Amino acid sequence: MIRLDSLQGRFLDHLRRRADFPRAWCAQGTVDSDTGLAIYANAYAARLREALEADHPCLSRYLGDDLWSRFCAGYIEEHPSRVRSLRGFGAQVPQWLAHNPPFAEHAEVAALADFERVLMDVFDAADASRIDWSAMQAFAHPDWPYLQLTFHPSVRVFSASCNAVEIWRALKDERDPPAVRKDVGLMHLLWRDAERITRFRPIEDGEWPALQACLLEGADFSALCERIALGHDKQQVPALAVSILRKWFDEGLIVDVGRPVSPTQAG
Amino acid sequence: MVMGAEAKRRPAPGAAAPGARPWHGYGLGLRTEHFQAVLEQRPAVDWFEIISENFMVAGGKPRYYLESIRDLYPLAMHGVSLSIGSSDPLDRDYLRSLKQLASEVDPIWISDHLCWTGFGGINSHDLLPLPYTEQAIAHVTSRIGEVQEFLGREILIENVSSYVNFADAEMDEATFLGEIARRSGCRILLDVNNVYVSARNHGFDADTYIASLAAEKIWQIHLAGHSDYGNYVIDTHDHPVRDEVWDLYARTIERLGAVTTMIERDDNIPPLQELVAELGRARALGNAALSRQPLAVA
Repeated sequence: MIRLDSLQGRFLDHLRRRADFPRAWCAQGTVDSDTGLAIYANAYAARLREALEADHPCLSRYLGDDLWSRFCAGYIEEHPSRVRSLRGFGAQVPQWLAHNPPFAEHAEVAALADFERVLMDVFDAADASRIDWSAMQAFAHPDWPYLQLTFHPSVRVFSASCNAVEIWRALKDERDPPAVRKDVGLMHLLWRDAERITRFRPIEDGEWPALQACLLEGADFSALCERIALGHDKQQVPALAVSILRKWFDEGLIVDVGRPVSPTQAG
Repeated sequence: MVMGAEAKRRPAPGAAAPGARPWHGYGLGLRTEHFQAVLEQRPAVDWFEIISENFMVAGGKPRYYLESIRDLYPLAMHGVSLSIGSSDPLDRDYLRSLKQLASEVDPIWISDHLCWTGFGGINSHDLLPLPYTEQAIAHVTSRIGEVQEFLGREILIENVSSYVNFADAEMDEATFLGEIARRSGCRILLDVNNVYVSARNHGFDADTYIASLAAEKIWQIHLAGHSDYGNYVIDTHDHPVRDEVWDLYARTIERLGAVTTMIERDDNIPPLQELVAELGRARALGNAALSRQPLAVA
């Protein structure tokens, strides 16, 4: 009797690489074993390719049929699925594109893939209730320098060394994509709004240092002001900082604000 | 529980006979394309079956709709990742996620497939065939036992469509499935379309297959469409249920009595009302078959 693990190993190798599967191991039914094995092998590749297409509709449009097929074949061969859900199958797509010719020679290709994966992250990130600006007003002004913000779990920053988002937008709208521009490394903020719709916009002047401080480093309001002060007239800093904060609240990015309890306060 | 008018008129066999199969009426597979329509239209569907893995995410739209629809309809959880026949160890992380989801959904039951989906840590994302051997029965039975113990409930196991059978088979598929259900204590989710597809591909008689299963083990029926290529048939789930499968379904209900039934559509998905209308055919056929059944069955 054939061991179950031997049978499964050989069968899966056949699906993946059309490696030999002993025909003597197959019973002959109405369907001959060659046809039966081909049905499984075709379905294997088709299913993984469909998953990539579902996750990367704009990338597939941008590459066109031939390059898309070339990418799928290469990626599926090098990265067999080791995940439970097909949704995670393409997790290494941006890195693969960034390191494999001819895709690696076009930075916008990996960046497009990266943007589409960030959109997926935003789509099913955890839920959390948002708070509005009145939560800030509940604190006395002397407390403000110490306040720390908690962002909605869906908030993400996307950065690229080219106009990948502009290209994505055009492809999404089924327009011809603009020419690649490598001199515009725009950063974007993405999040899911209260209606569970994914939003994104460019990160504005002065906002990036504030996001670095508060979103990425978990720093407090005073640190946010210090970062903004590095690039602005000091007299402008308070108003600019408050306007940035207000915008974050109004966009539904903030789920909590508070003053950490200091060790002495904690007793 | 939302019940269709015709279903309400029929007595619930499970309620009349303690220990017999429960009766939940006629359901549909819940698909992303229909989330909003289900909430807006409140269709005359008795229950929905969810694909468990689609809701093993942290949040967002899938979770929102799951919670909203759960408040309106009973739900069954149907998985595709248990890989109960694989030689790889059971995926404990998956089982934990499944148990967690079940605690949130409170499903009428949890089901998966009699197959393997991966080996050596690589997932094919397909429902691959097992050899019908004592070795495989022992392997699968032991693993179903572990799963049922972990989940704290009996599960339903579904027969899959197949395109290859193995030469060292020691029995036919129905015997294999029936023995696993008997030894493990699990129930059977009988996919009537899959029986038809495999019968055509391997040259066995579909009615004989169904007749050989223990009726009390069959708790749910799946119906779906397939693609007929003449020499072989593929289980594609992208068409309405075909007439030959409707006929097999009617004969099955006549034989088994009322079995909770649903229609699966996974591709080329039509508007919700089209599927509700198709489900009406299941309801009508099921009720007609029951009216032909001897009264002594329940």
